[in-house]
Amino acid sequence: MTGLIDNLARFLSAIGGFTTPLALFHMAWSTLLGIMIGALPGLTATMGIALITTLTYKLSADLAILVLICVYVGAIYGGSRTAILINIPGTPANAATTLDGFPLAMQGLAGRAMGVATSGSVLGSFIGMFFLATIAPLLGNYALKFQSFEFFWLAIFGIVISGHLTALEDPIKGWIAGFLGLLVAMVGQEGIHAYERFTYGKTELLGGFALIPAMVGAFGFAEVLSVMQNPPAEKAESPRDSIIPKLADVLRYWRTIIRSGLIGTLIGIIPGVGEDIGAWVSYAAARRKSKEREKFGKGSIEGLMAAETGNNAVVPGAIIPALTLAIPGSAPAAVLLAAMFIHGLRPGPLIMVESPQFVYQVVAMVFFATLAILIYGVGLSKLLLKVLAIPRTRLMPVVFVLCAIGSYAITNRTFDIWVMIGFGIIGYILRKMKYPMAPLVLGIILGDLMDKNLRRGLVLTDGDLTPFFTRPICVVLWLITFSSIILSIDPLRHLLREVLRLVWSKSRGPFYRRTA
Amino acid sequence: MARADFITGLALIFLSLYVIIESWQMPRLEHLKVHPLSVPGVVPAFIGMVLLLFGTVLTIRSIRRGGHRLRLTEEGLRRLYQDPGNQRLLLTAILSIGYAGFLIGNLPYGLATGLFIFVFVLLFEWEPGMSSAKRRRGVMTAALIATLSSAAITLVFERLFLVSLP
Repeated sequence: MTGLIDNLARFLSAIGGFTTPLALFHMAWSTLLGIMIGALPGLTATMGIALITTLTYKLSADLAILVLICVYVGAIYGGSRTAILINIPGTPANAATTLDGFPLAMQGLAGRAMGVATSGSVLGSFIGMFFLATIAPLLGNYALKFQSFEFFWLAIFGIVISGHLTALEDPIKGWIAGFLGLLVAMVGQEGIHAYERFTYGKTELLGGFALIPAMVGAFGFAEVLSVMQNPPAEKAESPRDSIIPKLADVLRYWRTIIRSGLIGTLIGIIPGVGEDIGAWVSYAAARRKSKEREKFGKGSIEGLMAAETGNNAVVPGAIIPALTLAIPGSAPAAVLLAAMFIHGLRPGPLIMVESPQFVYQVVAMVFFATLAILIYGVGLSKLLLKVLAIPRTRLMPVVFVLCAIGSYAITNRTFDIWVMIGFGIIGYILRKMKYPMAPLVLGIILGDLMDKNLRRGLVLTDGDLTPFFTRPICVVLWLITFSSIILSIDPLRHLLREVLRLVWSKSRGPFYRRTA
Repeated sequence: MARADFITGLALIFLSLYVIIESWQMPRLEHLKVHPLSVPGVVPAFIGMVLLLFGTVLTIRSIRRGGHRLRLTEEGLRRLYQDPGNQRLLLTAILSIGYAGFLIGNLPYGLATGLFIFVFVLLFEWEPGMSSAKRRRGVMTAALIATLSSAAITLVFERLFLVSLP
C-alpha cells in the first residue's frame, strides 16, 4: 500500500513538473508535428522520432524525451486521418483503420469515424499508460534477478518473436532481418576485449554504426525512395459531419475498448513487434467477439474502435521493456531508447534503483501527449487537410535534407551521412523484398547485449551450456523461441503433430487406437 | 518473389561464409590467457552460422519454386527502366545521393541544400509541353521553396542547435 502511495506521489509530482509554460509549449508543437508526420503518407512514426531526435540535442533530457513521446503518440494517432479520408494508412500502424474507416467516410460519416479514432486512440493510450505505470516498476524490479543467461535468451527471443510476428506470411524473412541486425551490431570495438571487429582500419567504425543515422536511413531515406516511386496519393476532402467523439460510441463498445487496450499493451511489451500488429490483432479479436460481425470491413464503428485503440495502446506498452530491460517493444520505441542513451539516461534493469522518478515522468509524458491528441483531435481538421495537400515533390526533398543534416549533426561526421545513405538503400531493397524493418532495428540494438551476455555466460560456466537451458526464465524463453520456429516450418510442424499423435495414442492404450 | 529470394539466398550464403571465415581468423588472445569461449569471433560466427542456415533454406525453397530460372531478357530490363515509378525512383536516388554524398562538404551547406531542393522540385514538377508562363511559375516556385527551406534549415541547425554545418 505504501509503495502504491509512493508511486502515485511520484506520478503526481511528475505531472506537476511538466505544467510549466516551456514544457506545455514543447508538448503543443511536438504533438502537432507528430500528428502531421503520422498523417502524411510516407512519413512514419519511426522516421519522425528519428528526425526529431536530431532536433532535441540541445534540450534537457526530460524535455527531449517529452518531445519524442509526444511525436510518437501523435504520429500513431495522426495516421488514422489519412486512413479514413483517402484509404491510405498514414503510418503502417493505421493499416487496419482503413478497413472500416474509409467505408465510413464513403458513407458520409468521415467526421464520426475521426471521432471514433480519436476516442479509441485516447482510451488506448490511457489503458497502456495505466499498465506502464503499474507493470514497469514490477518488471524493473524483477529484471534485477536476470543474469547473462536470461539476457542472452531475451535477445534471441526478441529477434525470433519480432521476426515471426512482423512477417507472418514468411517468418524466415523476419528472422533473417533480425540476424542481419545482430550482424550489423558486431561491427566496431567489442565490449569484452576491445578487439576491432569488421572495421578494416577505419576509425569511424570503431564505435560501430551509429543507431540514429542507420534508423534515419532505413526509415527516412528508404521512405523517400518508396514515396517517390509510388503514384501520388489522392487529395483528401473535408468531412461533412462532426468530428467530435461521441460518448455513446465509447459506452456501447467499452468491452472492445478494454480488450483492444489490453491486447495492444501486451503486443507492445513483446520486443520489436509494434503498433501495426497491435491494431491487426485487436481488430481480429473484436471481429471474432462481435455481435455485428457482418459489418466488419463495410464500415463498422466497433472495428475502427478496436484498431485505433489497439495501435495507440501499443505505444506505452512498447515503452515498458524499453525502460526496464533496454529492449524496445517497437521500432519507434527503439529510436526512443537510442535517444534516451544520447541524453545520458540509463534505461534498463537498474532504472527502478537509480531513477524511479524517471519512469513516472515517462508515464506523465504519455498522459500529456494523450491529452494533446484529444485536444487536437477535436479541434484540428482544416490545418491537417492543408498539410495533406502539400505535394510530395516539395515535401520529400526537404525531408531528405533533414535526413542528411540530422545524421550529420550527432557527431559532426560526414561519414554518418554515408551510413544513412547505405542503410536507406539496404532498407529500401529489403522492404521491397518483404523483409520487415522492425527485427532489423531490434537486432542492431540487441547485438551488443547478446554478444556480451553469451560470452560472459559461457565464461561463468566454463563452457557449460546447462544454465542456458535450465534456469526457470531461460526455460520459458527458449521454449517459446523454439516453438515459434518449429511451428512456422511446415515439415517440422507436421512431424511434431505426428509425434504428438503417436505419443497420445500410446498413452491411451489399444482401446483408443481401436475407436479413434 | 522466388527469383528475388534466390538471389537474396545466395547473397546471404556468401555473406555468412565470409563472416564465419572472418570470425575464425579473429585472434584467440591466447597470450592474454582469456577463456577460449570469450574470444571476439564466437558471437559473429554464431550469427554467421544462423544466417548460413537461413540463406540455404531460402535458396532451396526458391529453387523449388523455380526462382533459379532468372530469365533476364533485354525486353524485361527495358520494361523495368521504362516504368515511370522506377524512373522516379532512379532520379530520386541520383539527386539524393548526389546531394548528400558529393554536394555537401564541397559547396557551402546553404547553397548545396538550396540547389538540391530547387533541382528536385523543378525536375519532378516539370511536364513536357508546359506553357512558358507555367514554366516561369514553376521555376519561381522551386526557387522560392529552395531558398526558404534552405535558409530555415541552415538557420535552425547553425544558430539554434549550434551545429557546425558541413
